[in-house]
Amino acid sequence: MNSNLSDPAFWSRFQFAFTIVYHYLFPQLTMGLGGFLVYWKWRALRSGDEKYNQAVRFWAKIFGLNFAVGVVTGIPMEFQFGTNWSEFSRHAGGVIGQTLAMEGMFAFFLESAFVGALIWGEKRLGPRYHFLAAIAVAVGSWLSGYFILVTNAFMQHPVGYQVGGDGSLGIASLSTYLLNPWAWIQFAHNQMAALVTGSFVVAAVGAFYALRGLHSTQAKLYLRAGTFAGLIASFLVAFPTGDQQAKIVGRHQAVTLAAMEGKFKGGPMAGVAMIGQPNIAAKRLDNPIEVPGALSFLAYGTFESYVHGLDEYPEDTWPDNIELLYYSFHLMITLGSIFIALMAVATFQSWRGRLQSSNWLLWILMLAFPFPYIANTLGWMTAELGRQPWLIYGLFRTSEGYSKVVSNGDTIFTLIGFIGLYFVLGLLFLYLTGREIAHGPEKETDEPQTTVSTLGEVTL
Amino acid sequence: MITFWYCVVSFMLIVYIVLDGRNFGAGIIHWLVAKTPEERRQVIAAIGPLWSWHEVWLVGFGGTVFAVFPKLLASAFAGYYLALFLILWCLILRGISLEVGGHINDRMWQGFWDFVFVIANTLLAILFGAAAGNMARGVPLASDGTFSMAFFTDFTPRGYVGLLDWYTVSVALFAAVALAAHGIVMLWLNIALMVPIGISQAAMARVASLLGQRDVDAMRHAVLISLVAGGVASIAVGALLVLGSDSLVRLTLWSRSATGDEVVETACGFFRFCAVTQLFSGLVIVMASILRGLRDANAVLWLVMLCYWGVGLGGAVLFAFVLGLGGTGIWLGITLAFAFAVVLLAVRFWRAIPRLRTSLAAE
Repeated sequence: MNSNLSDPAFWSRFQFAFTIVYHYLFPQLTMGLGGFLVYWKWRALRSGDEKYNQAVRFWAKIFGLNFAVGVVTGIPMEFQFGTNWSEFSRHAGGVIGQTLAMEGMFAFFLESAFVGALIWGEKRLGPRYHFLAAIAVAVGSWLSGYFILVTNAFMQHPVGYQVGGDGSLGIASLSTYLLNPWAWIQFAHNQMAALVTGSFVVAAVGAFYALRGLHSTQAKLYLRAGTFAGLIASFLVAFPTGDQQAKIVGRHQAVTLAAMEGKFKGGPMAGVAMIGQPNIAAKRLDNPIEVPGALSFLAYGTFESYVHGLDEYPEDTWPDNIELLYYSFHLMITLGSIFIALMAVATFQSWRGRLQSSNWLLWILMLAFPFPYIANTLGWMTAELGRQPWLIYGLFRTSEGYSKVVSNGDTIFTLIGFIGLYFVLGLLFLYLTGREIAHGPEKETDEPQTTVSTLGEVTL
Repeated sequence: MITFWYCVVSFMLIVYIVLDGRNFGAGIIHWLVAKTPEERRQVIAAIGPLWSWHEVWLVGFGGTVFAVFPKLLASAFAGYYLALFLILWCLILRGISLEVGGHINDRMWQGFWDFVFVIANTLLAILFGAAAGNMARGVPLASDGTFSMAFFTDFTPRGYVGLLDWYTVSVALFAAVALAAHGIVMLWLNIALMVPIGISQAAMARVASLLGQRDVDAMRHAVLISLVAGGVASIAVGALLVLGSDSLVRLTLWSRSATGDEVVETACGFFRFCAVTQLFSGLVIVMASILRGLRDANAVLWLVMLCYWGVGLGGAVLFAFVLGLGGTGIWLGITLAFAFAVVLLAVRFWRAIPRLRTSLAAE
């Protein structure tokens, strides 16, 4: 990121980055938990075993808290397109506004309608409809994710648009726009990553209860489901979805792939650097340890394939913070590999029936849950830093997109406001979530005290 | 096509303002009206389960404007930068106070979130009002479609123009006053409806038990009696409301201030309509309960929805904005919706009687 502090684009980027990274901490867990809720509800329906219903009740509450914070931190995202990126909105609003509107109208509608039914409606709906409510919530959250990713995919790889008379963009083919291949691949990769977060959190709560010797039936359930789903999801994040993601970046953003890998010079038999520090001034990777030919193979299918280097492109099309991009990408891959290893060991122990007695592994599982959040964030930093210096790749530069009439002072003021507000929100969220976890899944909670009164129903 | 989208966007905004405006009103007078924590929880309970539904209309409005009128969004959002972020933060705080306030059963905790709720609602009403004031006056667009104004000015009548100046703030205060007045009337309306609700519960039980005894004639009799009783009670309460409107409003506000007087004046005007409104809404409650007693709950839902959303909203828009009656027009629309609902529900019941007779005889 161009860190010239008098550059208005820097502050708008910083604010957007801060608010969206914070926002995405919450949806990634709801999208990940959605699958668990549907699975347990289905098991409860099939077996009639009450422990599955208990698990759903407990995790639906965690889901609800995450959903609420996700909603209140999501509205600022929509606002900022207009407030801080008004030139971008003027230019491309006719295209990206479509999916953002659809997200609000269809997916958010669906999710917010059924979250209440899932949390409070079990008795009134009966098991069958309660199962359907769980499916609706999961589908709503994933659909939300898809619409947002189509929007992002347009910025990464614009398709289905036309240029109007005044130079602004409009939709030429809605289906091409909605079925952007970039969106499909990124969606698969992103959803698997959300499932990793969900699995780690479920396993961590299970490990916490197991270490404390509390709720042993539930702890066993969370550990089994969390580690097994975690192993599958961690593997799918890397292959095939992560692999495909890297390939499509290589196809459409070759210069980005070069920067991600720190490839300053192009050539065949390109290696993947396990270790190495990009040195922008000298235009080389310092003290690298490379696996020869690996990058050629991974990106283009054969060891002989030619991989483009940064030196083949003009410097004003290079991503503007290659160091941060390089380290984000590499750290994400490192974490992802550790996840596969950890979950493989945990699943093996769980299969042997030894997981609940291996204290050292439970401690690791309990403390590991923040790392998928970090890996998700790093992945998004890779995607968005890699897109620079373009706002819409190849069409529209970031330096053209910010609001010209908003001063730096205004943006810094609102940024500080967000930092303060989100700090308080984070404390509240952690306190309330901690209460639910301390309360545990096995005790009945008090009935909700808020119901629609007859009066409220009648008067409008 | 553009006209169509303009209508869609306006409709969404109006629905949002009608739905959430009532919440603002209830939020502003929250402290003045509800004295005990239990009462405050009741006011919140009336808003609580629905507020995210109301918010959906705002999100939908924002998204549609973005998709259809991107240039409008670009100019307005950047131009109103600080005002918009204040609105946003108030919306966030209000959402948190509603979600979190009821989570822990503790007096201090709930008291604090009630405080946040009132402040956020008051600021929201004023800021939305100021936005309306700015829109009514117009903003100076530059040739590239942007505008930029100071957030606030020296507040002199002939001074500089800003987003918050004497003009927009007076529009905003008027908006806050009008919303608070709506909130007061709604509250007393709810209390006035206690009697018809009691009657309706009795009627529902009676009709259901007569259905079990298969006595259609007695059922008809019971329905007539409860309708008359509900009508008489509603008229009596309505007369009280009109006669005592002034003191009722003052009772609600309990402290007299400069703005208090304006609220009283506006609210008294609404009370005259309120008397008629609550007569019909009392009858709607009785009729709806009777049909529910006959296990006809689905029809009730659809008919009432048709009346509220179709007739009520349409009528309110027609009277308030097309015919220019303002706040009075909105009450006219609501009253009309209730009147329609009574007639439709009654027709449904009387047409059901012969069918009931034959089906009971056939058994």
